[in-house]
Amino acid sequence: MRTIYYPLIIFFICAIIFSAVYSVSIGQVNIPFKQSMEILLHAITNGKIGSISNIESESYVNIILQVRMPRVIFALLIGMGLSLCGVVMQAVVQNPLADPYILGISSGASLGATFAILIGFGSGTIFSQFGVAFGAFVGAMITTIGVLVLSSIGGKVTSVKLVLSGVVTGALCSSFSSLIIYFANNAEGIKNVTFWSMGSLASSSWEKTPIMAVVVLFGCILFLFQHRVLNTLLLGDESAITLGINLSVYRKLYMMIAALITGTMVAYAGMIGFVGLIIPHIGRGIFGTDHKRLMPGTLLLGGLFLIWADILSRTLIHNVELPIGVITSVIGSPLFIYMIVKKGYNFGG
Amino acid sequence: MDLIVKEIETRVGKKEIIKNISVQVTKQQFVGLIGPNGCGKSTFLKSIYKSLIPHKGTVFLGDLDVLKSSPKKVSRRLGVVGQFNEMNFDLTVYQMVLLGRTPHKKMLESDKQEDFAIVEEALARTNLLDYKDRSFLSLSGGEKQRVILARAIAQQPKFMILDEPTNHLDIRYQIEILSCVKNLHIGVLAALHDLEMAANYCDYLYAIKDGEVYAHGTPEEVLTPTTIEALYQIKCQTYINPVTKRLGFAFQM
Repeated sequence: MRTIYYPLIIFFICAIIFSAVYSVSIGQVNIPFKQSMEILLHAITNGKIGSISNIESESYVNIILQVRMPRVIFALLIGMGLSLCGVVMQAVVQNPLADPYILGISSGASLGATFAILIGFGSGTIFSQFGVAFGAFVGAMITTIGVLVLSSIGGKVTSVKLVLSGVVTGALCSSFSSLIIYFANNAEGIKNVTFWSMGSLASSSWEKTPIMAVVVLFGCILFLFQHRVLNTLLLGDESAITLGINLSVYRKLYMMIAALITGTMVAYAGMIGFVGLIIPHIGRGIFGTDHKRLMPGTLLLGGLFLIWADILSRTLIHNVELPIGVITSVIGSPLFIYMIVKKGYNFGG
Repeated sequence: MDLIVKEIETRVGKKEIIKNISVQVTKQQFVGLIGPNGCGKSTFLKSIYKSLIPHKGTVFLGDLDVLKSSPKKVSRRLGVVGQFNEMNFDLTVYQMVLLGRTPHKKMLESDKQEDFAIVEEALARTNLLDYKDRSFLSLSGGEKQRVILARAIAQQPKFMILDEPTNHLDIRYQIEILSCVKNLHIGVLAALHDLEMAANYCDYLYAIKDGEVYAHGTPEEVLTPTTIEALYQIKCQTYINPVTKRLGFAFQM
């Protein structure tokens, strides 16, 4: 394992670059791989390498640079972000079943989005997209803070209290969402809520990229250097304190950061399930549990996975874009089952 | 390094578990705590290693005020081997022991050759060199406990606290673990449930009952039929074992 770690990392980086180029060349308009490459090189090096003179159609440049590029970058960032938050949450609550949405973030964001779609800004206006993202983010943040406050009642924040508070808050938010949907007399809006909850990268754009990139990359860089504490987190409160690490402080801090990242991702791309749960496990199967190796590996794996999920969601059925949340589950589950069967992997434990 | 614990009082919830216990460990002694289940041994030890916060009392380890110092500072001097070491994720034995270096590391510092050498030595002391790449969760109870001990040794502590370290272990592992700790030649405060082990390994004993020190002294002074009956509510005869020439106990079943 030790010897093939670096080659593996390099392999994943190459795979991501290759997949990204492939991803921008494919879609309703098929652009030859070589021309996509040239357009990208031309854009990245500001015209020094590659030329766009022998590209077949002017529109190719626009499709690639304005439509598909931000989408690939979004897929990469969200894949990285979700798997990052998955690893962190699993360590924080010491539970292999945890995912980025465990603290009720998903139901909080859903409630926010449902509110924005059905009551708040309505649908069909230019304002509505912003409204949904904003509503989801606010919903996610309020729930997280609620869960944190709830679980710190009566002293120490323990992982069991956290999970239970998350479940309770989640149930509360879900029932409010259902209530809103039940009384809403708006078939179109209800359809939008359903679509939103399945996750989509369709709204990716350059305007949204900077916020996303800053939040996700900040989180990645931060947690790449926290491998020591993350490893200690796995041992539980009692052992961690004897190793000089005050878990309850780190636990709160890490959760706040993970919640911020998840909230941002949910706001822009809806709920993309499963990635944050299975990619960390697949990562552990490949790289081991030590976070020093697990973290970089999982980030790359998550990015690569979501780029491919996005490619499949756009190409599986001609001219139809499937919800990416459906794709991640459909390709994720068999992959996960294969891991368990093939390697005797027992959920990191 | 000397451990001086004075007038500790600890509540768990609203119940007062520790009512004024003072304990001293000097000159690298192996000091034992004995007493029935629920008498407050673990709670007392937790109050020392900062897992619980006592509402009264002081703990000094050398010149370090344990209760007022950061966990990191304390963990550079104090190693702990506890009872519960269950976890939901797996690490290799080597990674587990390497975590013992955590207190000596800054946030971004990576492990150096020196750390690996310390880990190797800790593994050698606990007879775990062949286990390096084994997964921690696949080990037996006795092996796990040795890994935890190796981790504590890798901390290079000046003092060690053991909370019933030989619980659920069979006799060979009990002796291995206690001998290994004894051979470290550092001060030790250990809660023990086996009176013969306590008599064999401890230089000094504190008998705890209902959150207070009931008796203290050398094993011969403390482990008398009257004290044992008062502690455990069971009739007991002590004798010198003809084979080992050590203190033996005959309980009335």
